[in-house]
Amino acid sequence: MIKLNNITKVYRTKTIETTALNDIDLHVPKGEFLSIMGPSGCGKSTLLNIIGLLDEPSGGTIRVDGQEVIKYASKATAKFRNEKLGFIFQSFHLIPDLNVIDNVELPLLYRNVSRKDRKEMAAIALESVGLANRKSHFPSQLSGGQKQRVAIARAIVGNPAIILADEPTGNLDSVMGDEVMEILTKLNKEEGTTIVMVTHDERMAKKTDRLIRLYDGSQVA
Amino acid sequence: MLSNYLKLAWRLLSRRKFFTFISLFGISFTLGILMVALAFLQSELGTNTPLSNKDDFVYVEQLRLQRTYFDTITIIDTLFESGVEVFDTTYEFKESGSGATQTEMSNNIVDTYLTGMESAADMTMFNASNYHDVYVEGVKVSLNMLMSDERYWSVFDHKLTEGRVFDKAEVESASNVIVISTETAQNYFGREENVVDEEMFIDGKTFKVIGLYPHKGKILPFVSPDAVSPFTTMDLSLIDNFYFGPFEVMYIAKEGATDKLKSEINHAGTLVPIDHPDNEYDFKEAVFRPTTYDEMYAAGVLNVSNDEAEKSLSTMKMILLGLFLFFTILPTLNLINLNVSRIMDRSSEIGVRKAFGAHQGNIITQFIVENIVQTILGGLIGFGIAWILISIINQGGYLGDSVLLFSTKFFIYSFIITLIFGVLSGFLPAYRMSRLQIVNALKENKL
Repeated sequence: MIKLNNITKVYRTKTIETTALNDIDLHVPKGEFLSIMGPSGCGKSTLLNIIGLLDEPSGGTIRVDGQEVIKYASKATAKFRNEKLGFIFQSFHLIPDLNVIDNVELPLLYRNVSRKDRKEMAAIALESVGLANRKSHFPSQLSGGQKQRVAIARAIVGNPAIILADEPTGNLDSVMGDEVMEILTKLNKEEGTTIVMVTHDERMAKKTDRLIRLYDGSQVA
Repeated sequence: MLSNYLKLAWRLLSRRKFFTFISLFGISFTLGILMVALAFLQSELGTNTPLSNKDDFVYVEQLRLQRTYFDTITIIDTLFESGVEVFDTTYEFKESGSGATQTEMSNNIVDTYLTGMESAADMTMFNASNYHDVYVEGVKVSLNMLMSDERYWSVFDHKLTEGRVFDKAEVESASNVIVISTETAQNYFGREENVVDEEMFIDGKTFKVIGLYPHKGKILPFVSPDAVSPFTTMDLSLIDNFYFGPFEVMYIAKEGATDKLKSEINHAGTLVPIDHPDNEYDFKEAVFRPTTYDEMYAAGVLNVSNDEAEKSLSTMKMILLGLFLFFTILPTLNLINLNVSRIMDRSSEIGVRKAFGAHQGNIITQFIVENIVQTILGGLIGFGIAWILISIINQGGYLGDSVLLFSTKFFIYSFIITLIFGVLSGFLPAYRMSRLQIVNALKENKL
């Protein structure tokens, strides 16, 4: 589904050059729940961003469904992100000025979906994460766990084939973290959604199909 | 999607109250002042009654008789030749000066040389400088009484509030009828209605009021006089000069033919004979100097003679454009600056939107919609401010007799200014922010 070949990412300033990723080869097949672990600053999030086409690699190629991604700022890439990818962030990234249902329907705004269908699809997504009764609440009125569940609803509302989750349980206590993991696992098993998750938590990583480890920008396991 | 943007724009306005206040304050005051300026221009230069035809107006105020004087000029140079002072005297025959006389025109000049122009759709002649003091129960009322023909009413389309205007027969029979302004009615009769068939005693004659038109302020004496009556009621036997008299002429040119009409009028000047005994000072040339209404207005504003009317119109346009740019660019730059900081504050939102499929165009549209909502709101407040200012200016009479007008055009122009303001001040920051790398935008993490 997504194939990374010799991916490198180098951050350059006038005086210093930092290699964040070094020759990463990765193949994420359809339906896999992959977790990426490693110490802080090892390049986990950078790799996830590159998989999600949110960041451009310094070298190497990315193939999505057999096609090489060249223009990252193009409409086609935006369309691909919209239709094929869903993102879950550690700090939720909900828009504070929008209520829960408007936050959830966000990806559908960029598709040709009628207002009525958007509301229906968002309501179904919210129901699947157990927040059907919080539609009109604003993010500031929700707990951390609830915010992350809203973020999951937003990620799945457009039925993407791949979910990319950057430490989705990082800001949550263990109970809420387990709840979020349960939703993700169910999504993977029942819907066949491919999930790539960055985590610090060994316990969470063990619940996934495959674990890769990064160290100083290189894959070590 | 648009409804979503509108909803978000509204929520942003109500959530970020301080920012909203600062922005709206700037927008509404700037737009308010611009709207007042527009109302002023509209009332002075707009095509409202009685000036609906003004874009096709060509005005001939006076006839000018002129000549250039030539003389022998003696020039004496002092030279030194071999140390001896010598005088070198030369004589040149050249222009030594010019002279002219100019005054409003006689009935004869208007009839013979200024009537029947091919490019004129209509014309009227009038005596605009007819001031009378009339007394109402011992109190003096000054009256600027315009003496004209029946075509005055088709050239200047006053909308009568009651009665009628005088016709050709009444002009020809020198009927003592008069059409007056509401202000005159108020001053003379103490009321602004039901004055038709009343009588006015002016300069030893009794005039019957036959019509009433709204007072428009003294835009120009012939545009909004205090009263109008047939010119034949004047004692025309007193006007016995071949060239000069009390009359000015206003034409309505056929559509798009103002320049052609001006040429025809200029040509007519060359046909005026200069060998008439009334040309006492042997002037060599007769010249009409036709101007359009806007040229005449600009010359009046810039206080230059009608000779420079064409030039003064372009000068006035430049000045107005400069002022417009000054009063719009500065606040626009300020708004852009405010918007950059406001949008910067929302960079992680931009990151999220892009991550979920928004492309550059979506982001730009969203921020421009937000900005337009904000500027329209500011525009509405500005409209209120303008309305209050205009009412204060009109009631206080701070612009003399000029009355600032609200009109549909005024509203449309103001709305266009508001939209331009909104798009301009929103586009640049939106464009800049829409180019943000998603990863960098998300790192801001202000959500």
